Amino acid sequence: MHPTKPAEPYWNPYLAGVGLGLVLLASFVIMGRGLGASGAFASTITAGLTAVAPNHVAGNPAFSEYLKEGTSPLNDWLVFEVLGVFVGGFLSGTLAHRVTRTVEKGPRISTSGRLVFAFIGGVLMGVGAKFARGCTSGQALTGGALLNAGSWAFMIMVFAGAYAFAYLMRRQWT
Amino acid sequence: MGDFIKKLSLNGRLAVVAFALGFLALFAGTPYHGADATVNTKELALTMATYADQVGVSTLADWIIQGKADFRVVDLRSEQAYAEYHLPPAENIPVAGLGQSSLMHNEKIVLYAEDGTRAAQAWMLLKAKGYKGVYILRGGLDAWKDSILFPRIPGNPTPAQVVEFARAREVSKFFGGTPQALAGDSTAVPQAAMPKLAMPASPAAGGPGAPKKKKKEGC
Amino acid sequence: MMAPFFKFGLFGDNLGMVVAFAVGIGFGFFLERAGFGNARKLAAQFYFTDLRVFKVMFTAIVTAMLGVYYLSVFGFMDLSLVYLTPTFLAPQMVGGLILGMGFVVGGYCPGTACVGVATGRIDALVLFIGIFVGIFGFSELFPLVSGFYNATPMGQLTLPQVTRLPYGFIVFAVVLMALGGFAGAEWVEKRMAARKVEA
Repeated sequence: MHPTKPAEPYWNPYLAGVGLGLVLLASFVIMGRGLGASGAFASTITAGLTAVAPNHVAGNPAFSEYLKEGTSPLNDWLVFEVLGVFVGGFLSGTLAHRVTRTVEKGPRISTSGRLVFAFIGGVLMGVGAKFARGCTSGQALTGGALLNAGSWAFMIMVFAGAYAFAYLMRRQWT
Repeated sequence: MGDFIKKLSLNGRLAVVAFALGFLALFAGTPYHGADATVNTKELALTMATYADQVGVSTLADWIIQGKADFRVVDLRSEQAYAEYHLPPAENIPVAGLGQSSLMHNEKIVLYAEDGTRAAQAWMLLKAKGYKGVYILRGGLDAWKDSILFPRIPGNPTPAQVVEFARAREVSKFFGGTPQALAGDSTAVPQAAMPKLAMPASPAAGGPGAPKKKKKEGC
Repeated sequence: MMAPFFKFGLFGDNLGMVVAFAVGIGFGFFLERAGFGNARKLAAQFYFTDLRVFKVMFTAIVTAMLGVYYLSVFGFMDLSLVYLTPTFLAPQMVGGLILGMGFVVGGYCPGTACVGVATGRIDALVLFIGIFVGIFGFSELFPLVSGFYNATPMGQLTLPQVTRLPYGFIVFAVVLMALGGFAGAEWVEKRMAARKVEA
């Protein structure tokens, strides 16, 4: 991908945070619910599996909770929201010339090594999000703003888990 | 103070605003005002005076027979009473649960209980919370039994009464009731069994006890 | 008391989906603005070189928290109609631990992975696929874990309820904690930058 214009620097994080907070607030005010992401992944899997193995899906509560009466599991608020996330991310990235096909990694690891870790990280994310009933978007941001006790406990453990493993992963990032 | 703020960076100003709002929160009180209600006495009195707060049993019966789906019926009695008999499209929301119900503010809602008292109280509560389309079923279940399920015709009917009873008989049969012909001039009401609950349910409500689709709002 | 608009029947499910899409655009936009489409920026948090994950997250939380609090206090919003996910303390804490591990191993979370994919990051795409695998695996093994998954249910529980302190107190405490954290973060970043120069 030939470089066109140089990437712009990122925003002041506090300003970005205010922007994010206002979007979250808008969601509360308009819909009476917050943001999320992991639920959309689960809805998508459920929709895909229902096409090939509907009985299996119906019999497993971890999947069947995403089924909807009379419509596809994809006809879901979070699915539409996550589609918007793609669009918004692309929009911001394009405006700032930060859209580029690349692999983000530290200097001491190979590309393939990085991708292996990315996959493992994704699997861990999926498992963790299921146990926690959400991820950083849904539980930490949404639950955090609403002073949800379980969400705050979750958030603290996310930081704890990440910092605990950071030393082991240092070769990937530093 | 002005100099201090001018010298602050953007981050500093954000921090000051955040601190101020946080500090004020110590004194601003509880955010839970959901149970508060406002009663517009003039508006409510007018609604009551024009009987725009009520719906008659015949009207409701017609709506159900015609298969109209633009309203909800709420049975305010206990679960037990509801299980014994309830109007075909009715949902059971005991009075205590009215605050947390799934009732939406713009829906047409018909409330009933035994007679009209409980329904009238619930009507007042919901109107005060801003519900626009609530109605009391005039006479409640008592009137429903009387006029719809068990309509009566006296022994010596006038032609008008005969016509009216013929119609009432059809309505009664629709709901599984028992039309009664009284002997002579007697007005005594013979005891009749309440209809079983295998009712022709309004298609929209999906039959008694059908759960509204569960709204999944997690992440 | 008019908000949340959807809960007051101001519009239906279909418009709700349009709102979802619009909210998502805003969400993704600001995540990318913050640099969260880039795993290196995200991971830097855990090596103390760039603490923007903490700054963005807690600024967002404080902003939304203050907004919700004051709108509710002044009666513009019915807080009891805003959905609060029920607390299941043990699995949420374990889930958080696992998610945190996944974060530093993978470099993204589900939301930021979407932003990463949208801006061309192949590692984000791989992680994205991994999330599906993780959710699928969890769900297939659900009978084994469902006991723990449903353990320690506490219903809808807020910090004010747990601490038995007034809501406004907790709001102030969170603001203080966040501001303190930000000051600390700025100091740590300066120290790390200075150390880098010295090295």
